[in-house]
Amino acid sequence: MKALMSLGALIGVAGLLLLGGMIFDVVPSNTVRLVEGYMPIQLLLEVACYVIGFTGLSYMMSAMGMALPRFWQGIGFWIFLMVYLKYRVYPPIPFSVRAMYGTVGLVTVFMWVSANEEDWKKFKQPIMNVLDAQTGMNRLLRYAYLVLIPILIGGFSFNAMMPKSEEPIELRTVHPAPPASTKVHGKTYTLQTSQNPYRVNPEGKYDQEFSNANIVEQGMGRLMKPNANPWDEKNQGYLKYVREGGEIFFQNCHFCHGDNLNGRGLHAFAFNPIPANFTDPGTIAQLQETFIFWRVSKGGIGLPNEGFPWASVMPPWEQHLTVDEIWKVVLFEYWHTGYYPRTWD
Amino acid sequence: MGLLVGKRIFSIVALCMMVGLLLLPVVVALPSLAIGEETHAGDAAKKDGDKVEKGRDVYYKTEGIVSGAPAPKTTDGVKDYPRYNFESRVLLWFANQQHLYYGSFVLAVPIFCMIIEFMGVVTKDKALAKRYDQLAYDFIKISLTAYSLTAILGGILIFTFLTLYPAFFSYLSGIFRPVMHIYALMFVAESGTLYIYYYGWDKMKEGFLKWIHLSMSVILNIIGTLLMFLANSWIGFMMSPAGVDEQGRYLGNIWHVIHTALWNPLNLHRILGNMAFGGGVVAAYAAYKFLASKTDEDRAHYDWMGYIAMALGVAFLIPLPFAGYWLMREVYAYRQQMGITLMGGLLAWLFIIQATMIGILFLSTNYYLWQAMGRMRGAEKYQRYIKYLVFLLACGYMVFITPHTMVMTPAELKAMGGQQHPVLGNYGVMSAKNGGINVIITTTVLSFVWYMRGNKVSTVSWARFGNIFMGVFFGCAYFNIIFLAVYGYYIPANVRVGLSVPQVATTLSCLFFMFALNSFMMKGAKQMGPIEWGKISARSQYALIMLATAFTWMMGLMGYIRSSVRLFWHVNEIMRDNSPWAYTHTVGFAANMISANVLFFWITILFVFWLGSLTAKKVPVESKAGIPGSVPQPAPSH
Repeated sequence: MKALMSLGALIGVAGLLLLGGMIFDVVPSNTVRLVEGYMPIQLLLEVACYVIGFTGLSYMMSAMGMALPRFWQGIGFWIFLMVYLKYRVYPPIPFSVRAMYGTVGLVTVFMWVSANEEDWKKFKQPIMNVLDAQTGMNRLLRYAYLVLIPILIGGFSFNAMMPKSEEPIELRTVHPAPPASTKVHGKTYTLQTSQNPYRVNPEGKYDQEFSNANIVEQGMGRLMKPNANPWDEKNQGYLKYVREGGEIFFQNCHFCHGDNLNGRGLHAFAFNPIPANFTDPGTIAQLQETFIFWRVSKGGIGLPNEGFPWASVMPPWEQHLTVDEIWKVVLFEYWHTGYYPRTWD
Repeated sequence: MGLLVGKRIFSIVALCMMVGLLLLPVVVALPSLAIGEETHAGDAAKKDGDKVEKGRDVYYKTEGIVSGAPAPKTTDGVKDYPRYNFESRVLLWFANQQHLYYGSFVLAVPIFCMIIEFMGVVTKDKALAKRYDQLAYDFIKISLTAYSLTAILGGILIFTFLTLYPAFFSYLSGIFRPVMHIYALMFVAESGTLYIYYYGWDKMKEGFLKWIHLSMSVILNIIGTLLMFLANSWIGFMMSPAGVDEQGRYLGNIWHVIHTALWNPLNLHRILGNMAFGGGVVAAYAAYKFLASKTDEDRAHYDWMGYIAMALGVAFLIPLPFAGYWLMREVYAYRQQMGITLMGGLLAWLFIIQATMIGILFLSTNYYLWQAMGRMRGAEKYQRYIKYLVFLLACGYMVFITPHTMVMTPAELKAMGGQQHPVLGNYGVMSAKNGGINVIITTTVLSFVWYMRGNKVSTVSWARFGNIFMGVFFGCAYFNIIFLAVYGYYIPANVRVGLSVPQVATTLSCLFFMFALNSFMMKGAKQMGPIEWGKISARSQYALIMLATAFTWMMGLMGYIRSSVRLFWHVNEIMRDNSPWAYTHTVGFAANMISANVLFFWITILFVFWLGSLTAKKVPVESKAGIPGSVPQPAPSH
């Protein structure tokens, strides 16, 4: 047990040193890389390691007779969480999300320190000591709080009320709700039931399983499957249409949506927000193909009123491309990102 | 003897009356329905010579004889939308929400009564049986006053519809004419049954008569549930109309109109939701009484009552997210744009708030259970591990509430380099959220298991093996849930949707197998000490109040989301809302409105509680002090 706790304590100390380095900019945040494809779970595992580390540290300090009071354990863990989110995670997390996490952190720390009467008494003790002010130090602290807390509240209020010149925050939604049907080049397409006419098997029939078997592999590198190279002139059918879609993409779309379809094209950063990142699992991977067809055809200008506020400068591509070309671009986007269009079967 | 026979006859007659009342609406409605259809068909045939006009069902795609007028095309004016100098929609929202709160409460509480009364009847321990019986009576007593209020609020709601939205209500009542009549008759049946059930409590408290009384509660709940199903058919029709053609003309098949795409998921979701809500409200009542108690006996009684209500509420809360998931899945399958408006579009922010509320419910439940372990001797051995449960809950909760599109300033947007955060953005999609909520629920199950064995030590020979097995089972469950959440990113969306099934199965396996195994292990277990009812911290009672408030707030929120997803339609794609209020409110306004509704409900329910307390007989408080460890005594007799 002691050996395990010592190991835990070691992890805790190492973790805290690393985090300290990140706070004071001695160690870059990406020293321990967040690995693409594994980042969400990596983050949780890291925090779990810290928890194990703190448990070990607490055990060791108690064994050495230097136990940290429960009050400071609770406060300390919450501060750790906030610091970790601010300095470890990159790119920086917006304040709104850190505030949400901070609140959850505060609530759960409270749940921990007040889970039983004994712990709750221990946690409350320093607060009660200051309120009771039986010693000179506590009396001093009580007066200090009496002055400091109103000043702090006043400061926060002043800061909140002070006029700011920043652009206002918009609650932008990722996916505007599509209409039931859309008319493109004089033909009406029902979004619920329409299919991409180029997602076909060698017999020329609509076959999503066949196309799914020929898309690039997900994960790092996004490699093409063997014998599924659209740029091989010998390939016909689905892969040929992907190639044609790719040509249209690189002639029209990649300036904004980027070579890797990750929304970081040549002109991307001239826009706010930047163009959609198709490699994100929350964009095209979440949607039916017909949704993309509608979005590409109608662009930002054709979005429904209920999609407001919608900041999109995408042109209505039906004015520049044929229906076939739009379907082929959509086909290419799914092929390149390695995602499957959503279906409801 | 003669008195007993008389009572028996009285009880059987009462029961037969209830069954008769239950069947009355059906009997009355059937001929009128048939006559109505014939008349409509006949009228149509007369008007068009021998030609009957046929229409195509917008949902079922079947053909039917047009038997009703098309949906009115309203215009913004006092004819279709008479108004005060105020937003009519807000008035309707308020009336609807209050009626729903009370309706849910009075439908849920009789189900609790039925369960608790049944537990009392089958329990061999007479003292315990009496306690259960008293508790069931306390429950129904609370709901009786609420029942009158529900009817009054229902009347207010109908008047609001008739006076502020006459064109829409006229159309809806034209389509649902037979259903509304059945509904009204069933309400009569529900009232009659409830009053006989309540006032016959003392007369039928023993033996055969008690079983008759219990049967009445079953009938009461059948009527209540059918009432709710009928009311659900109206909102189901407004969201996903069926049984009418594109112009909204009724095609003669009332079952199609009732049985719309969303009716069944709505029914299930509302039953579970009502139960969880009812449990929450009763638990809050018990908490309030606990905090106001002057004696140890009262504290013990209300502590026990709060625990039972919480346990029942949470029993229905656990499957609620899965029923909600089914409802959303059906919404997506019905109309993609509706699903996207809900989960990814205009109303997506409200779903983040909903996730926050769900998390609060489970966190409050866990917190209550940990506090409740404090009144057991022997449960100390679990206290040191609570911090790890807190960690699991916190991780699951943070993932569950992470928005996919974050609120940020333009400067933060630039710093982040895109609309989606490459790390946290992954928590914003369904795969991760399913993982998060399942971790939370599994942890709640674990807390329950710890609570159930808190003051006991298993004496079965395979206790050690059983404990290891349980530990490994929970470990594997967590691993499976998290693994499937991660795996969900690497498979198509339609397959990913299916992954929720094994995740849910894992969670439910923990619930059923671990509860069952734990019960076997704890059979004849050594007691480390009694449960000291009433010796629980005040914080636990605030957790119960928090639980109830969160339920109420979430119900208001979800009702608003479900209603506003129709956007500018009274009846989706059939009847357009042309009033000046056919827009979606801001998130802030909606939140304020929900809070106002919640506040009003709690103020009025406190009044109901107070009224309930007036009916209790005043008995002199015994001077003896409460004995620590004693079982809670029933409240004064009714």
